Amino acid sequence: MAAPRSWALWSFCGRGWSRVVSGYRLPGLRSSSPRGPLGARLLSQEKEATETHFGFETVSEEEKGGKVYQVFESVAKKYDVMNDMMIVFVFDLSSCWLPAGDIAFRFLNYVQAQHQRKQKRQLRAQQNLSWEEIARKYQNEEDSLGGSRVMVCDINKEMLKIGKQKAHAQGYKAGLAWILGDAEELPFDDDKFDVYTIAFGIRNVTHIDQALQEAHRVLKPGGRFLCLEFSQVNNPLLSRLYDVYSFQVIPVLGEVIAGDWKSYQYLVESIRQFPSQEEFKEMIEDAGFQKVTYENLTSGIVAIHSGFKL
Amino acid sequence: MATLLRSVVRPLCAFRGSPGPPAGVPLRAVSHGAGLLYPEHIPTSLLQKVLLAAGSAGMALYNPYRHDMVAVLGETTGHRALKVLRDQMKRDPEGAQILQERPRISLSTLDMGKLRSLPEGSFGCAYLHFLDVNKVSPDTRAPTRFVDDEELAYVIQRYREIHDMLHTLLGMPTNILGEIVVKWFEAVQTGLPMCILSALFGPIQLSAQNLQLLISELIPWAVENGHRAPCVLSVYYERRWEQPLQALRQELGITEPPLRVEGLV
Repeated sequence: MAAPRSWALWSFCGRGWSRVVSGYRLPGLRSSSPRGPLGARLLSQEKEATETHFGFETVSEEEKGGKVYQVFESVAKKYDVMNDMMIVFVFDLSSCWLPAGDIAFRFLNYVQAQHQRKQKRQLRAQQNLSWEEIARKYQNEEDSLGGSRVMVCDINKEMLKIGKQKAHAQGYKAGLAWILGDAEELPFDDDKFDVYTIAFGIRNVTHIDQALQEAHRVLKPGGRFLCLEFSQVNNPLLSRLYDVYSFQVIPVLGEVIAGDWKSYQYLVESIRQFPSQEEFKEMIEDAGFQKVTYENLTSGIVAIHSGFKL
Repeated sequence: MATLLRSVVRPLCAFRGSPGPPAGVPLRAVSHGAGLLYPEHIPTSLLQKVLLAAGSAGMALYNPYRHDMVAVLGETTGHRALKVLRDQMKRDPEGAQILQERPRISLSTLDMGKLRSLPEGSFGCAYLHFLDVNKVSPDTRAPTRFVDDEELAYVIQRYREIHDMLHTLLGMPTNILGEIVVKWFEAVQTGLPMCILSALFGPIQLSAQNLQLLISELIPWAVENGHRAPCVLSVYYERRWEQPLQALRQELGITEPPLRVEGLV
């Protein structure tokens, strides 16, 4: 029985500060609806973060991998995407500490691992394979993603180039396409992708509503939109500390480390400019998405919004 | 040495009462248009200046090629010294004129054709020769950003822009040894903490032989000349291109260096 083909369109933005995210526990997104995978409700209440990381702390690879793994595990379960065509859609890899490509790479790792597991299962199911046949099967494996396809899109040519280099350095070639494009005017046909994600990117788009509309357009019916973005902090004490840190320390660090005060000033300001969780949820709904929910991480410093094109 | 130490400690006290929004207040309104004292100005709070000073000092030590960090260090720690310098300039007629007219030294403001036509031995000719030989340009000076006083911002900008003139006057090349010698001269002349720190920490990377020569001959010479010379920021260099180099040196009390530095590095 052939698994249904599914396409995932993900977009990532790496505009600074991915390390902030790496400090958070991403709670698993569980489906609570009796109807099954579609219509999963994200818990929007605040989760307790045992680590309160602000900025530039290093976390181990496994830890970060595990956190991101949980998000994509849920997505994969819902759409049976492991075996099929997937598209990853990447936005604006510019000036990232832990480039957004890192999230994409974690995802690619996951898809690869799933594909390998599937291969192993297939091999086990086949009886009496000779050693040569097994070896040949593994050797001939050129498409490590098992048919999943990932489309990486960015408006910035230079950053796209860097993302590509990083991908190649990590051994990802098959199944990846790199497209220069604008989130407000995507160079893709309608109803093409299973998943569209954007991480730390939508904040930088001039017309967020247009980007949301485009996301809606290129997703297939049943497709899911996921957005990871800085949001409003709901805890007053944390908010105050966060403000001090954002405006006093971040630009200084930007100047000392990158020689660029202004970009980091922009970064912290653009975070404040971005609509709140509820406002953004309404914007996503206005673009035509349904079952829109959001999940706060660390009292709302970052939020994951999710919506479905139904 | 005590004077040097004092001039290091004193500027640190200048942090108190520096203008700028209190810590934590979003600087959005201030950093765009409204609160700017000059085009490149980035208003900073006291906390930010402290962090910048510490960060830039650390980064400059860690990566000596980060010249921008040395500049930032100078701007964030130089408030007291800059005020003293500015007052010195005001007391001198030529210096006061500089403060009034605010001349800038860059390729666009220098008349390179005229400089090239100057006779051998003139200050202008020597300056041009220095730029050519060391392959430097007057345009590499970063604009001031973190000084919260428009006049003082000009003073530090002027200090940066005449750095090459000092090289010419002192006869020092732009290699490490030459730069350190000029920094010692500048440290004595300006009292800027950044100069003092550079003068003290710069020699760390030198070879033993160079270090020995530096300590025994070059530093004493630089310090002596620094004390003897009047405020070098009060000299209107742009009006003295035709003046013979030797005459200018004599006027400023700058003697020949005890040894040629080129061959040593």
